[in-house]
Amino acid sequence: MRPSPTTLRAGLFTLVALGICLFCAWLLFGRGTSPLQTDIMTILPATERHPLAEDAVERLARASGDRMILLVSNDDDDAAKTAARELGEALGKDPVFASVIAELPPFDLDQLVTPFLPFRFHLLTPEDRAALTSPGFDAVAALRRRLNEPFGANVGAKLTDDPFGWMQHWLDRQPWNRSTLVPEDDMLTAHQGDTTYVLVIATLKGSSYDDVVQRKALATLATAESAMLAKHPGTTLQRTGAIFYAAAARAGAERDTHVVGIASSVGIAVLLLLVFRSLRPLLIAFLSTALGVVGAIVATVLVFGQLHLLTLVFGAALLGEAVDYSIQYLCARANTGAAWNAERGVRQVRPALLLALATSLLGYALLGIVPFPALQQMAVFAMAGMAVACASVFWLLPALAQKPARAPLSPALVRLALGWQRAASGRRALVVLAVLAVAAIPGWLRLGHDDDIHLLISPPKTLEAQTASIRDVAGFGGGTQFWLVEGASAEEVLQREEALTDRLRTWIADGKLTGFTGITAMLPSAKRQAENIAALAPLFTPADRMNAWLAAAGFRPQGMASFVTAYPGRAFTLDDWLAMPAYTPFRYLWLSGSHGTGSIVVPQGQDDVMLLRQASEGLPGVSLVDKPASISALFGRYRGYADVWLGGALALVGLAFLWRYGPRAVGRVLLPPLAGIVFSVAALGYLGQPLTLFHIMALMLVLGVGANYAVFLREGEPHAAHIPGAAYAGVLLSAVTALLSFGLLALSTMPALQHFGLTLLLGIGFTALIAPVSVPAPKKSSA
Amino acid sequence: MHRLLTLIALLFVTSVHAQAPSLANEILGSLAKHPQVRAEFSQSRENPALAEPQVSKGDLLFVIGHGMVWHTRDPFEDTLVLTSGDTRRLDAQGKLERVRDGNRGVSQVSGMLQSLLAGKSEEAARQFTITADGSIDRWTLTFVPRQARVARVLAGITLKGDAFLESIEVNLASGERTLITFTNTRDADSLTPVEAKVLGVP
Repeated sequence: MRPSPTTLRAGLFTLVALGICLFCAWLLFGRGTSPLQTDIMTILPATERHPLAEDAVERLARASGDRMILLVSNDDDDAAKTAARELGEALGKDPVFASVIAELPPFDLDQLVTPFLPFRFHLLTPEDRAALTSPGFDAVAALRRRLNEPFGANVGAKLTDDPFGWMQHWLDRQPWNRSTLVPEDDMLTAHQGDTTYVLVIATLKGSSYDDVVQRKALATLATAESAMLAKHPGTTLQRTGAIFYAAAARAGAERDTHVVGIASSVGIAVLLLLVFRSLRPLLIAFLSTALGVVGAIVATVLVFGQLHLLTLVFGAALLGEAVDYSIQYLCARANTGAAWNAERGVRQVRPALLLALATSLLGYALLGIVPFPALQQMAVFAMAGMAVACASVFWLLPALAQKPARAPLSPALVRLALGWQRAASGRRALVVLAVLAVAAIPGWLRLGHDDDIHLLISPPKTLEAQTASIRDVAGFGGGTQFWLVEGASAEEVLQREEALTDRLRTWIADGKLTGFTGITAMLPSAKRQAENIAALAPLFTPADRMNAWLAAAGFRPQGMASFVTAYPGRAFTLDDWLAMPAYTPFRYLWLSGSHGTGSIVVPQGQDDVMLLRQASEGLPGVSLVDKPASISALFGRYRGYADVWLGGALALVGLAFLWRYGPRAVGRVLLPPLAGIVFSVAALGYLGQPLTLFHIMALMLVLGVGANYAVFLREGEPHAAHIPGAAYAGVLLSAVTALLSFGLLALSTMPALQHFGLTLLLGIGFTALIAPVSVPAPKKSSA
Repeated sequence: MHRLLTLIALLFVTSVHAQAPSLANEILGSLAKHPQVRAEFSQSRENPALAEPQVSKGDLLFVIGHGMVWHTRDPFEDTLVLTSGDTRRLDAQGKLERVRDGNRGVSQVSGMLQSLLAGKSEEAARQFTITADGSIDRWTLTFVPRQARVARVLAGITLKGDAFLESIEVNLASGERTLITFTNTRDADSLTPVEAKVLGVP
């Protein structure tokens, strides 16, 4: 017996599907690293005009990098220190940490002085340079004043190396001398009020975003923390670092995936069982959807090389749309009864499915045009998923649904559908819609806007509070606002940064800023170093005069010879800076690579963007970068464009409908999605929800999905004429499954997905209820 | 005040020489009885690099909780206002200017001294082992750094006095020694308007 073409095609499809499933399994689990991505940074849109600025954002965000920054505090000084020491030991035992610093390694204070000796004449503070170049500079008086400073003794550079104190002044400005943390009992501590804070830094062996590293490190920390708290009551542990943010994001997204995925699967299963009253349709529908999801994962990983957890959350909701195709096919099967022929069934639903697929793909393609990786990934995921699910209906399902349905659609649902269809169609419905449209106007007028970055990133408040607290106590601040300095060469960058920092210094004097961190405070430009030498040169020429001054001020001549002969030493270079271990933590301030050369200057004590922008105004090569503000601006800009896109999409869908249904019917078919959009926006206004980019993105989907319903109804009606209400029952079934999945996104922890879900909930709900207007009212007699 | 004293006593159990907690307490308590003090000072700084000790003289005003005015008259005229963590120079016109490149050591030592006399010895006790010797009428307080890396630079600080502080001696490991002696120490009954202004005394 030769196999029928249906079986042959299905067999082929199964083979390919199996292959894709295996490939998918390999992509997800077969390779060393999981393609599942949790780092939100990787899917934020590129907002900066220059790739160097993007590099800088990345650098700064990672400055705290793969480290846990922990702050142990207790009102009892000894308890705080012992607790921190024990915490450090406990963490240090776990190999997941590359190193843990609780107790400072033994080092000599000399190490922070001696390496600077060769460069001391090239490194001057602005104040010393100004004093040296002022007309009345008197070397002997300056020496006298320094030698007779109250309490005399200074710790740092030796008097013989630095009689004027220039080097000491320079060293005092270096970052390690500006920290509020001071070494005590070999630990870095700070005191505020009665409380002692002790810093513990644990460096991870691996990435903060690596699932395995994350779990192990957090588990070890949790154990060590509870042991510490039990042993030293009254101790608190505050934490910050990328790993905690990544873990929080992951936990939220995982919860969302579970809630949305499980709840919608169960909901859809129960619904399908009730409606089809048979297990087979349920299994068929799920198989088709599952294949769609597998195809979507494969396509996404192939295109992007990764799959973001956010996409997966969105994908869980996609189930509800992908299942529509098989539902339509199964409804057709149930409605046909004993006369069912699987191949004829496919031919019957094909136009509707293709048209529906086309409108969906159109909607998602528009989503994908946005240069925003997160949305692009979702678009690719959705398009691949839809296409595969639809293809499975054409090629696989006929083989699985050869036999006629055992039972027709649940009569209860059909009766319900027919009842509503009667009520919601005809002239009366149009009048009601018109009234509702008028009622929608105040809702529209109440709409506000919100483009805040926190739509996408909403870390737990407790974590934010801890980060802020650590910043207050320890002075560590990642910060997302900074000045980017660009230049053709390293020297040009340094000179341009100095132009900025010279201005910032006057701002500090005016109290507009408390400080800043930049490389030129450690490495002045060659030009500035030459100016320093120029300021000193008159004092050292001739050398005998300097010797005479030193003697006049009271120095023994023989002791100071080395100071005079050491002048001018050599210039401090970028290579010297890079080679100095004390500067390693500040490497992130210097950018050098394929995108050019630049530096970062981070402001402290001022976050008013307008003011910060003013500081860099008119300075060549200096620009303020404010990633959250840039993203918010981008959201706002896209929100503006989105209206246009929505209009464009509506026009395209309208054209497709015009081609299929002719100029007389196009208005009717387009009315449900259009009214759905109008009413959901009004509802959002009444709910007091400000409109975000994500609401508008969801409206695009409402258009795509809503158009499907009109199509299903319009295309399905002729084939189900013998069972009035059956076609609409199918649409309602699709709508409820969509609500069960997309609607559940409204429960998401992430505001963006929440908005997405709520809009779809409203939009799909309205559209499905209005859908009956797209076909003429069912005749009473045929009931 | 009682709570503070108890706290100091508690701290001293661990950080002060076992037999002396009450003495150290008494000394600090008796010094704190003079919230505003005037004195003549003489500072002598010895360093192997210097041919002879550098000596400066002047007068000072110390106000607990506010800071001090350090007025050098010899060998040059200069007035510094030392408040917590800040050094400012008072010019002849009565104008204050921040000394950006002030010696960090200066503000730290003066800050420590101020908190010590204000009855807040915890800060000092965390950084130093404090030993008290003598009697309440004739005492010596010795501060030795607890941090090994600081001890390698700073050998110790010694305070001597009776009802008032008489001298401060700072010894560095390098052999540098600064000795400040105070004479004619007395309670400052009133402040001049300029002094009150620069120290922020109401």
